[in-house]
Amino acid sequence: MERDAFLARTRERLLGVEAPPLPVELPTTFATGDGRLFDRFAEELGKVGGQALAVRTFELADRVAELAEGCTTAVVAPGVGPFLARVEEGLRRAGCRPVEPSRELAEAADLGVTGAALGVASTGSILLPMGPDAPRVSSLLPPLHVALLEAERLVPGFEELFAELPRYAAERAQTVLITGPSRTGDIELQLVRGVHGPVRVVVLVVSK
Amino acid sequence: MTRTGTPGRTFEQRAHVLLGQPSIGRNLGSALDTMLGTRAALLAGTDLEAMRTAGEQIRAHTIANLAGYLEEWSEKAEARGTRVFFADTGAEAVNYVRDVCRRRHASLVVKGKSMASEEIALADALETDGIEVLETDLGEYIQQIAEEPPAHIIAPAVHRSRGEVRDLFNRVHGTDLSDEPARLTAFAREHLRAKFLEADVGITGVNFAIAETGSISIVTNEGNGRMSSSLPPVHIAIMGMERILPSFRELTVMLPLLTASATGQRVSTYYNVISGPRRPEDPDGPEELHVVVLDNGRSAILPTEYRSILHCIRCGACQNVCPVFRQVSGHAYGSVYGGPIGAVLTPLLRGMEEAGDLPHASSLCGACTDICPVKIPLHEHLLGLRRDGARERAGAAERTTFRLWSWAWSSPRRYRLFARLSRLGQFPFARGNRVRRAPFPLSRWTRGRDLPTVARRTFRERWSDRGA
Repeated sequence: MERDAFLARTRERLLGVEAPPLPVELPTTFATGDGRLFDRFAEELGKVGGQALAVRTFELADRVAELAEGCTTAVVAPGVGPFLARVEEGLRRAGCRPVEPSRELAEAADLGVTGAALGVASTGSILLPMGPDAPRVSSLLPPLHVALLEAERLVPGFEELFAELPRYAAERAQTVLITGPSRTGDIELQLVRGVHGPVRVVVLVVSK
Repeated sequence: MTRTGTPGRTFEQRAHVLLGQPSIGRNLGSALDTMLGTRAALLAGTDLEAMRTAGEQIRAHTIANLAGYLEEWSEKAEARGTRVFFADTGAEAVNYVRDVCRRRHASLVVKGKSMASEEIALADALETDGIEVLETDLGEYIQQIAEEPPAHIIAPAVHRSRGEVRDLFNRVHGTDLSDEPARLTAFAREHLRAKFLEADVGITGVNFAIAETGSISIVTNEGNGRMSSSLPPVHIAIMGMERILPSFRELTVMLPLLTASATGQRVSTYYNVISGPRRPEDPDGPEELHVVVLDNGRSAILPTEYRSILHCIRCGACQNVCPVFRQVSGHAYGSVYGGPIGAVLTPLLRGMEEAGDLPHASSLCGACTDICPVKIPLHEHLLGLRRDGARERAGAAERTTFRLWSWAWSSPRRYRLFARLSRLGQFPFARGNRVRRAPFPLSRWTRGRDLPTVARRTFRERWSDRGA
């Protein structure tokens, strides 16, 4: 059907329907956070089977080396930016080869390392805008996803998240809010972690 | 693999078949109690009423301005390279998708969970064209290999035991898996991963479209929505025309309302916002993004008293609490939408002629209305549709019966007389305190329901004895 005809008919069928305004103030939801940002973030992410670690920049290579233990290849998204050298150092120390993400390499990799634009304390979520510095496959195909989040980018709740989202949605083809490892309850509602996405998600909250 | 629903032309016939399989009601009941328990635990201590009020207001505002928001959304979406198609009917939507698949020489399509695509039987049509269509949501996948439609909006295979799923997997794949859900899930992950990487087209639904940026967004836990919208070179999203919000701000309330009501989660594992196909500078993502906006009977509801049914965000909570749904599952409703939402929506989309019996599949207890996160008065709509149906269909016999009934019950003397007469008359038919088979014309009632017997001594009789 032609777009204009479709819209005109919809408009006509709504003639005389009174529309209430949108609420001026939105109520508090359970996705509203409080002050202790990192603690809350770690607690909520832990509840859904993820893990958050507070890391100082100088410790980063050590933490990455611990996480990469037993891994042979890691796809590293360019979006880790200023942390790239330390991440690669940690990977090498663990005997894990850092490679640039392509579909084939990501499918074969044990580990994907990415940046994160924002962390939401009240839900333990991280926001990943996809783009030139953030290939989709690096946070999607490997069984372990390690995301680096600058501590200043932690926000309390959904109010702050959804205030920033329009900017990313306007600039990027895909932006994903990720809360822990992929999961299902489709067989007898028994929780199983690791369906199509990563089995394990670790967020390193980095501060200087 | 064309999927056949439960046999039967009417709700009554299908329910009869399903009630003959007691494992359905048993599996469903315990699973739905768990879902309701998780939801209640999450919501304890929150101001749920304030959230529901805001949710209702947001949806009412949006639907009343639907044309304007769809226009704004489609302009923004097209400006970002999304190809938007407005489909008047299911057939139009299906044909559009077929054309895209044909042009891309598609031989394998992966599907994320989408009720709208089930509504228009998209997979069946593509399979007729020789395309392999694979459901990738675990529950949908189980239902697909069982050659059955989904039984619940959120948890499509919730009526099955793990043993049933194991037997299905082992039969279809020639494997020897245990019934451990983790083992079965791991097998499905591996099997479907290869398909995701190979697929020519990914098809998903849409949970919310956002007018201010021309985006669509998808709520999933398993990651199949992300896979289907990221790996194949073409992504097609099917969206009911009402699935829109003015801006991201409203999601502050709408997203937690949806995930809490659906699965008792603060937020789903993935909330995926898509604003067009991959940009020239992007390393991956689909080359083409198509969004099919589906009317298929929806806009005809806009001028009616049932408009608020379009406020629905497809959380499935009304199914979980419905005493009728809990016995028979979604399969009794003869469409993809089961439970109270289906009993209202299906007759409105398909007409009373075809689905006018569905509004009677309810006890009118109102539990659906009480739990609805956007306060749709579901039981009032059910009553309204019954009234419409009676106006259209009721014959002279039915009208006379009810006139007599009303005459008999409108004077205390006649009421007493008829109570006494029924107590005598029920004697040959009562089994315990139930009448399971009554003579005509009451047999039409007892075919679908039991009739409680008239008490040995009525309240009035006991009351007057007490005074004596």
